[in-house]
Amino acid sequence: MDMDDALQTFIVEARELLEQMEEALLRVEQMPDDVETINAIFRAAHTIKGSAGLFGLDHVVKFTHVAESVLDRVRSNQLRITSELVVIFLGVCDHLGVLISRVAAGAEPDEQTRQASEQLASQLRVYLDAPAPVAEPAPSGSAAPLETPAADGADTDNWHISLRLGPDVLRNGMDPLSMLRYLNTFGQIVQIVTLVDAVPALSELDPETCYLGFEISFHTSADKATIEGAFEFVRDDARIRIVPPRSRVSEYLKLIDDLPQEELLLGEILVRCGTLTQAELDSALREQRGEQGGETGSEAGGKSDGKSDGSEPPRAMLGEVLVEQQLVQPRVVGAALDKQKQVKEHKAAESGLIRVNADKLDEHINLIGELIIASAGASLIAQQTAIPELLEAVATLSRLVEEVRDSALTLRMVQIGATFNRFQRVVRDVSADLGKDIRLEISGAETDLDKTVVEKIGDPLTHLVRNSMDHGIEPAAVRLACGKPAHGTVRLNAYHDSGSIVIEVADDGGGLKRERILAKAIERGLIKGEQQLSDQEIYNLIFEPGFSTVDQVSNLSGRGVGMDVVRRNISALRGSVDIDSCEGVGTTMRIRLPLTLAIIDGFLVGVCASSFVVPLDMVVECVELSEQEARDSHGRDHLNLRGEVLPFIRLRQLFDVSETPVEVLAAESDDERGGHLPRYGQSSTLLTAEGAAALAGDPELAFLLHPVQRENVVVVQYAGRRAGLVVDHLMGEFQTVIRPLGEVFNGLEGISGFTILGNGNVALILDVPGLVRRVAGSESRRNARAVSFVSAE
Amino acid sequence: MAKTILVVDDSSSMRQVVGMALKGGGYDVIDACDGKDALAKLDGRKLHLIISDVNMPNMDGIAFVKAAKLLPAYKFTPVIMLTTEAGETKKKEGQDAGVRAWVVKPFQPAQLLLAVSKLVLA
Amino acid sequence: MNSEDHVMHIEIKGELSIYTVAALRQQLIDALEAATEVEVDLSEVGEMDSAGMQLMVAAKREAALRDKTLRFSGHSPAVFDVLELCKLSGHLGDPLLIRSKI
Repeated sequence: MDMDDALQTFIVEARELLEQMEEALLRVEQMPDDVETINAIFRAAHTIKGSAGLFGLDHVVKFTHVAESVLDRVRSNQLRITSELVVIFLGVCDHLGVLISRVAAGAEPDEQTRQASEQLASQLRVYLDAPAPVAEPAPSGSAAPLETPAADGADTDNWHISLRLGPDVLRNGMDPLSMLRYLNTFGQIVQIVTLVDAVPALSELDPETCYLGFEISFHTSADKATIEGAFEFVRDDARIRIVPPRSRVSEYLKLIDDLPQEELLLGEILVRCGTLTQAELDSALREQRGEQGGETGSEAGGKSDGKSDGSEPPRAMLGEVLVEQQLVQPRVVGAALDKQKQVKEHKAAESGLIRVNADKLDEHINLIGELIIASAGASLIAQQTAIPELLEAVATLSRLVEEVRDSALTLRMVQIGATFNRFQRVVRDVSADLGKDIRLEISGAETDLDKTVVEKIGDPLTHLVRNSMDHGIEPAAVRLACGKPAHGTVRLNAYHDSGSIVIEVADDGGGLKRERILAKAIERGLIKGEQQLSDQEIYNLIFEPGFSTVDQVSNLSGRGVGMDVVRRNISALRGSVDIDSCEGVGTTMRIRLPLTLAIIDGFLVGVCASSFVVPLDMVVECVELSEQEARDSHGRDHLNLRGEVLPFIRLRQLFDVSETPVEVLAAESDDERGGHLPRYGQSSTLLTAEGAAALAGDPELAFLLHPVQRENVVVVQYAGRRAGLVVDHLMGEFQTVIRPLGEVFNGLEGISGFTILGNGNVALILDVPGLVRRVAGSESRRNARAVSFVSAE
Repeated sequence: MAKTILVVDDSSSMRQVVGMALKGGGYDVIDACDGKDALAKLDGRKLHLIISDVNMPNMDGIAFVKAAKLLPAYKFTPVIMLTTEAGETKKKEGQDAGVRAWVVKPFQPAQLLLAVSKLVLA
Repeated sequence: MNSEDHVMHIEIKGELSIYTVAALRQQLIDALEAATEVEVDLSEVGEMDSAGMQLMVAAKREAALRDKTLRFSGHSPAVFDVLELCKLSGHLGDPLLIRSKI
C-alpha cells in the first residue's frame, strides 16, 4: 500500500461519487426539497474535495471548494435549487470528471481545463454572497501574523505560556499532558510550574473535573501561531496567554493583570519560571500600581495583543535567578522513551466492503469453470465405477461445486440501476437538444445482472433510448393534437424472466409506421414486395443492416451507427432484441440477455455421436416423438403438442451431423444407443446400428424408412416462443462453462459457443434464441401466407 | 505499546491515506466506513483517539460520537472530527456532543498527524 | 518492611487515568479511613494522564487533612514520565519523601 495505490482508490471513488452526484442532481430537479438528495450532492463534492486535498491536488480542491460552498448554501436553505443551478452543477460534474481523468493520466491541468475551471467557478460565485474568489481555508498556523520580538523587551529568549484549563477539558477527552508533550516536539519546555492549588482533597474531588493550570517557559524557534496551535483544541475551554520572548515587561504585567486574584502567586511563578527576574517583577509591579490604576481589565481571549501600552517600564536585565525547581533534575526513564519508537505491526484494517479487481474475479470464475469441468469428469468416472461411496462423495462434491459456482456468480452480479440512472442525463441532454420535453421513468432498477453484461449493454441501450426520443416521441404540438400529454415519456424497465434479464425501452410516442417500414424495406431490397410478414417481423426490419436511411439520420441517433449495430452488439451478448409497437400509442423495444455470460446449466443432448448443450433454463419439457406423431408430422416441420402447433428443427439436418462409425454403435448392446457420453435421465430411444447407418445420408428419408425410430423432442422456449429440437437422445443436466467460438466460427448460425465435457469431448452450445427465431419466423411467415391466402379467397 | 486510533470515514481513499499517515506516525489504526460500522468496532478494545468524518451515510459522525460517549470504555476518548469550514451548525452539534478537536478538510496527511499528536503522542 | 500492621498497601494496576480515577478515588478514601499509613504502589501503572496526576495530588491533600501518611512508591515509567513533564517529582515523585503539605 503506497500513495499511488491510494490515488487509484481516490480516482475510482471520485468517479463513483460523480456518478452519484449526477444522479442526485437529476433527481433533485423533480424534488428540490428532498434533503437527502441535496445532502448526497453536497457529500459527493465534500468528499472529493477532502480526498483531493490529501493528495495535494490543489486545483481540484480549489474548484470543488467553490461548488461545495454553493451547495452548502443550498443545504442550509439560503439558496433554492433551480434548473439553472442544476445545469451549472451538471457542468461541474462533467468538469470534475475531466479533472479526475487528468489526474488519472498523471497530467497537470492544461490551460483549457484551467480556463474551464475558472469559468465554472465564476458562474458558481454568482450564487455566493461574495463574488470575490472564496479564500481557501488557511492551513492552521500560517495565517496569524508573526510576532516579532520587541526591542525593549525583557531579556529572555523564552516564550511564556500561561494556561488555565476549564473544568470539562478532561471529560472531553483532552489531556493537557499531551499538549505539553506536543510542545516538546518543536521546542523545549525550559521550565514549568504545574498549578495544583485548585485541586481539592480526595473527599471534595470530582476526579473527572480538571482543576489544573500551567505556567510554562518555552524555548522554540517556531512562531506564535504554532505555539497556539498546540492548544487549539482546548481554546474554548481554557484561558491561554502566550507572551513572546523579549516582550515588554508591560506584557507580563498585562498577564498578571488578567488574573488579578493570583497576582502575587503569578508574579512569583514568572520569576520561578525564569521568565522575569525578581527585579523586573518588582519594578513592574511598582510601575503598575503607580501609573495604571485600572487601565486594563481582563481580556477575554488568550492572545497577547497589547502593544498599546504607552508606558515604558524600566528595562531590567535578567539576573542570575535560581529557580527552585531547576534544581530538580529530570529523570530520564529509558522505558518511557522506548515506547515512543515502537511501531507495532498494524492490524489489517477491517472494513465491511472490499474492492476487488474485476480481473481477479474473472480469473476466479474461470477457475471455477475448470472446477466444474473437473467435477463433471469425476462424476462420470464415479458413474462408471459404480462404487456407492465414491458416488456419494462425488455427489457431495458436485453439490458444493454448484454452490461455489452460484456464489461466485453472484459476486459478479450488479444492479442495473446505476446503468439506468446514467440515462437521466442522456434523456435530459437529448431532450434539450431536440427541443422536446421528455421524461425518463425507471423501474426494475434493482434487477441484478452480470457485470460483464452491464458493461456491454450501455451502448446499445443508449442507442435505443436516443432512437426512441428522436424518432419515437412526437413534437409537443403533435402530441397535444393526439390528446396526449405535451411531455413525452421514455421508460426503462428491467426484470428477470426464465434465466434471462429483460430490459425494456418504451416510449409513448407515435409508434412505428408499419407501411413506411415495409415500403422502405422493399425499396432497399431487404424484402421482396410479395413477401408476407407479421407485424413483428416488419418492425424487426429496422434492425436489418442497411435499413437506417439518410433521411432518418439526425445528429442524435444517426451517428453513422444503425440499429443493425445495436442488434449485432446484443447478439454478441447471446441476447436478442425485438419490438412491440402500436401506432399512435408507443413502442417498446425489448432486449433479452442471459444473466451471466460465463457458466450455464445445460441440458446435454446427442445427435448421433455429437453432443449439444441446450441452456437448461430455456428447456420447457422433453417429449418423445412417437411413431404416430412422426407420421403425422411428416413433410411438415411441426407437430401437435397437446393441441398446440409446435414448430421443430431436426438438429441432425440442421448441422448435417454425420453418423458415427458403425463399429462403435455395433459394439453397444441391443437397443441402447451408443456414444461416449453419460446418459443419466435418458429416455429410451430405439435405433439399431443398421438403422443408424442407413439414416446417415438423409434423415428425412431415414424417417420414412424407419418409422419405428423414436426420436426425442426438446421443447425450448425463448421470448415467448416455443420450438422443438429433435434429437436422438437425452443425456440429462450438465453444468458447463461457455467458451466462445473462435473468430473463424463467428458467423456460425445456431451455435453460440462450445464447452468441454468431463470426458474431454467437445459439445457445441446451441443458440436457442437464434434457433427459435428461425423456426418461429418461418412458421409465422407460413401462417401469414395462409391468412393472406384465406383472406384472398 | 503503540496507541490505537479508530478512523471513521466513508471515503475509502481518505481511510487509506489517513491510515498510512497514522501508521507512518507510529500509531495502530483500525478503520470503519460509517458510524454504524464504527460503533460495531467499539467492542471494548482500548482506543486512544477517534478520528471521524461528520457527513457519512447510515450514521453520521455526530450521532456516532454521541453514541460512543455513552459507552463507559469510550466516554472520555478524544475525538477529532473532520469537517468543512462550512459546517458551522454541525460544529455546534459536535461541540454539544463533547467534540473539541476539528480538522478542516481538505488537509494534508501531515496536518492531520500534527493534530493527532497534540492529543495523543505516538 | 512492607508488612507493618498499620500500613495499608494499595496497588494500582493498568491505567491511572480518567477512566479509572473515579473508582480509585473511593479506594483511596477507604484506605485512608482504615489505616494511618497508606502506601500506593505505582509500579504496575501502564498509562497515566492529567486526571491521574490530579488524583495523586488530591490523595496527598486528603492525607494531610486527615493527618495521615500517604506514600507513593515504585513509580512506573508511565508515572515518572508524567511527573517529569509537570515537574511534580518533588511533590509526588520521591517515595522516601513524605510531605504533609503540598
